[in-house]
Amino acid sequence: MELFNNSTNQLLETALNASMTRQNTISNNIANVDTPNYKAKKTVFSHELERAVDRAKLKAQQTDARHIPFGGIGQMSDGTQVKTRTNTMYNHNGNNVDVDHEMSEMAKNQIYYNTLVDRMNGRFNSIKTVLGQGGG
Amino acid sequence: MTMFNGINTSASALTSQRLRMDVVSSNIANADSTRGRMVDGEWEPYRRKMVAMEPKQDFKSHLNRAAITSENTGNGVQVSRIVDDQTPFKQVFQPEHPDANEEGYVELPNVDPLKEMVDMMSATRSYEANVTALDAHKNLLLKALEIGR
Repeated sequence: MELFNNSTNQLLETALNASMTRQNTISNNIANVDTPNYKAKKTVFSHELERAVDRAKLKAQQTDARHIPFGGIGQMSDGTQVKTRTNTMYNHNGNNVDVDHEMSEMAKNQIYYNTLVDRMNGRFNSIKTVLGQGGG
Repeated sequence: MTMFNGINTSASALTSQRLRMDVVSSNIANADSTRGRMVDGEWEPYRRKMVAMEPKQDFKSHLNRAAITSENTGNGVQVSRIVDDQTPFKQVFQPEHPDANEEGYVELPNVDPLKEMVDMMSATRSYEANVTALDAHKNLLLKALEIGR
């Protein structure tokens, strides 16, 4: 059994990264709240589905770490995808950022992130407890 | 630095909104300035200024949009330029004014204090929203530091 590199820890890590990506998207939407013709973006977590689609597509090869990754469906390393939000009403200046929506999404995301960190700490604390019991 | 991306994004918005606020201040301050600019030897009143904003784009985001369906999270906002309001100046009958024309009319700036107030409130609220976003991002980073403590 892997103590640190098990699937739960990796899943938590992926989720933390995804949550951070979502926070970046929300920040950017709020930053562009007064920008004419700006279209709001959203981060979607669609790990398994996108991976399946990804397999069927061509991917660009990276021969150097500094190359910009592209190809496939542009999946980020944490299984998130950033898309333009199109199912909302547009403002008179072509902007469709809904501040109330963004703020509530941000609140949700914060709680989600804090939960993940707590779970992560819970796991490490369990390991600590186990290590402490061995001394007799 | 990807870690502080969200903070940089919010910071760019704070800068832009503050500039908007500065422009509003300038408009209100010059609401009665009859000598804003010299044009062909004649004084022209102050022209109302407006801020044009656009999303900050870099090469990577352009390439991403061209090559694939997914986008990146964005880099914030920037002020592209400050434009002049081309609406006509106000004409006020004031023969004793040094800048009055032969008929006794003075041209006053095309500044509408109501519009400026609305613009100011909009900038204030946007600024506040961005401070909240920045604070949220800061809290996430601080929370991340607690992992393993």
